[in-house]
Amino acid sequence: MAETVKKKTPVQPISPKKIRIAALLAVMGPGIIAGLSDDDPAGITTYSVLGANYGYQMLWVLVASTIALILFQDLGARIGVVTRQGLIGLVRQKYGARSGTLSATALIVANIGTMTAEFAGIAAAGQLFGVSRYVTVPIAVFLVSFLVLRGSFKRVEKVFFILSGVFLAYVIAGFMSHPNWGEAVRGMVIPSMPFNRDAIYIATATLGTTLAPWGLAFIQSYAVDKRLTRDDLKLLRVDVWTGSLLTGVIGFFVVVTCAATLHKNNISITDASNAAAALEPLAGKLAKELFAIGLIGAALLAASILPLSTAYSVSDLTGRPAALDDGPREAPLFYATFGAITLLSAALILIPGAPLITILVVTQVLNACLLLPLLGYMYGIAKDKRLMGEYAATPTMKVIYGVIISLVAICIACMLWFTIRG
Amino acid sequence: MKTSPVTGINTVAKKLSGRGDSVLARKNIRNSLVSVAGLIGRPVRDESGRLIGKLVDIVVRHGEETYPPVSGLIVRVGQSKSFISGQHISKFTNDEIRLSSTKIDLVDFQRRDGESLLDADVLDHQIVDVNGLRVVRSSDLYLAPLDREIRVVGVDISFRSFIRRIFPGALSRRPTPEHVVDWASVASLADTSGVVRTSGSRAVLSQLRAADIADLIEDLAGREQNALIELLDPELAADALEEMEDEELQGLLRGLSSERAAELIARMEPDESAEVLRDLDDEHRESILSSMDAKVASDLRELVSFDEALAGGIMTTHLLLTHEEDTVGAALKMLIENRERDISDGVVVVDARGRLIDHIQVIELVAAKSSALLSTLIGAPFPTAVNPDTPLKEVIEEFADNRGSSIIVVDEKRKPVGRILADDLVDALVAQSASRGFAQGTGN
Repeated sequence: MAETVKKKTPVQPISPKKIRIAALLAVMGPGIIAGLSDDDPAGITTYSVLGANYGYQMLWVLVASTIALILFQDLGARIGVVTRQGLIGLVRQKYGARSGTLSATALIVANIGTMTAEFAGIAAAGQLFGVSRYVTVPIAVFLVSFLVLRGSFKRVEKVFFILSGVFLAYVIAGFMSHPNWGEAVRGMVIPSMPFNRDAIYIATATLGTTLAPWGLAFIQSYAVDKRLTRDDLKLLRVDVWTGSLLTGVIGFFVVVTCAATLHKNNISITDASNAAAALEPLAGKLAKELFAIGLIGAALLAASILPLSTAYSVSDLTGRPAALDDGPREAPLFYATFGAITLLSAALILIPGAPLITILVVTQVLNACLLLPLLGYMYGIAKDKRLMGEYAATPTMKVIYGVIISLVAICIACMLWFTIRG
Repeated sequence: MKTSPVTGINTVAKKLSGRGDSVLARKNIRNSLVSVAGLIGRPVRDESGRLIGKLVDIVVRHGEETYPPVSGLIVRVGQSKSFISGQHISKFTNDEIRLSSTKIDLVDFQRRDGESLLDADVLDHQIVDVNGLRVVRSSDLYLAPLDREIRVVGVDISFRSFIRRIFPGALSRRPTPEHVVDWASVASLADTSGVVRTSGSRAVLSQLRAADIADLIEDLAGREQNALIELLDPELAADALEEMEDEELQGLLRGLSSERAAELIARMEPDESAEVLRDLDDEHRESILSSMDAKVASDLRELVSFDEALAGGIMTTHLLLTHEEDTVGAALKMLIENRERDISDGVVVVDARGRLIDHIQVIELVAAKSSALLSTLIGAPFPTAVNPDTPLKEVIEEFADNRGSSIIVVDEKRKPVGRILADDLVDALVAQSASRGFAQGTGN
């Protein structure tokens, strides 16, 4: 009879520090990806204009937007983990079929517009390198669709992380432009601005592009799809804060680059590729190229997230399966939505004579108007004890959320007032 | 197990009509269905047609019955919400509700155990579609008179009915019975704590496989998750828990009362129970163990104390112990009694002093005469014996070297204390390689 009674060999314990890092890396994702995808071409354009037209003066708007981003991304991720449901699904459940459908429809329309803006960013950045949009946009469509259709959740997430690395380009460009750091810090902490239509517009746009409705819908659904549990909430908070802060930091570098070069030389710009081209004589060819590469990476990341966010929201609304690990056969609605959004937006950018400017302006207004009810719904869900249980918002947090929502409301009201007055 | 929604629903209808108890198959019921989504916000009138208020919600009572009866209405009268008992309802249509008298008691509504609100708790909320094996949202609910009461008889999970509700006016209230599924084929997850439900939901859920139920549990959170567990037969719930991911399971246990958690853990295989308990924090583990039967708790305490990287940490303590002078027939009988267990592939034979001699496989027993003594079957292949503190690595090497032989864990007196099954080893290996994968991924 065989017998094995051997002496004990001590098992090598893994150091607690290593365990913590591994656990953090496993949770990382929703905050970083949702945050950085807010720095999309529309965002870079807004930050460039903010820097080129107002120098360092309005950096505080970016600081305020980043704080709002941190708090609401954190809330969205938490709601997702605790309820295991996406934002639009919860709106349907708590506020009824009509509210849910209205939010989802507005979100779909706004997302198609935003997605068109991402493709416009890719087209413009490609043109800086002399490549036609009829080449760059179809390649982008292919890359985005291939990634999501063929990849498992883990693989898709890895590609997102790699794409996020592109944002380093803006940090390098920022240092190359030799900004006045003292002025920059002053602009961050001392709120001041000219009270006129353009300044209010750019302030609202900064807030609206940083705290985007689709980003809020995305982080919640993504946390659900990632199957994070309540145990992960502490680490998730690290992820969300890191992601949101990085978003602000990158915005900061874009603003200071443009402030140190374009604003100093009184050059005014209309979009991000414009800014990149204007950078060349002031900061060198490399700065221009870094700016353009950053733009392409940013557009690709956002162009992957936007149709995904829309697909999650539509599936959520209808209560149908929505998971990157499900195939198209198991989740037909999810993939159909993804495909439709991508193709429609690509078509809009490629059809000659499509009213691009109108689309982009309408999208921006729609996103701003949609932000308010969505933040309101999130606030309502956050304080609902039946939904959130022990994770329901504390009285202090309720006040803080309330203040931010009021500030957003004031911004939007000012913007609408100036729009109507003309 | 993925079926398209349409065939899924048809199968349910067929299955239920096959049992001959689908009320939707009855023509008078199909023709009198009233859409709950349409009815909310409609007028409630008294006998003479005078407006009392607008319908806010419908309260139903869950209990032994498959189709929950309406126990009352919540009506907005002026600025306040009042409760009207279901006994007063004389007539309800797609457009309004009529009450049977002009003198109606309006009382403040209080939530009671075992009751749920159709609009606030069920409509647009998640329910388990048992045939599609998925969590869906209910698009509409249907009421019909049945057995002298108004009851919830059907549920609609179709997208078309959801879209219908967005339209204004009468269009949103028109029932679309072609999409209605029998209430008994879904499990509503409305919180009805404290109620023993032996209704249709439970019967239908009991036909599912444990692994499918585990997936459904993992798709839910909080209240709904607990509600699903409450609906399940404890034995099935324990099986489903064994199939869940570790992290998910810990999250689930944290949400359950200690008593309920203890009940479920006690029904799981001991090695699985020990694994779960080991991962909980001390306080929570103690509160669960102290809610258990003392004997089961002390066995589990011992298992939990073993290191996971040692044989004792992954063994199961369930053993089918026989003596060498027992007959083959007795051993087979013991096997049949325990056929549900993982370890019922053979019996462990010990000598008069309880020391391990052999492990005899079912196939050897079946081939032998039932009157023969087990001692006549003793021979190669012998099981591999290890100690509770043998490192996992060595157990795996032993297993690889002696493929097909069983691994029995013995104490220092060579008395069998547990067994290690191939699937326990696989689980342990998977857990190991996962953590190793991380270490590499982080660049360590």
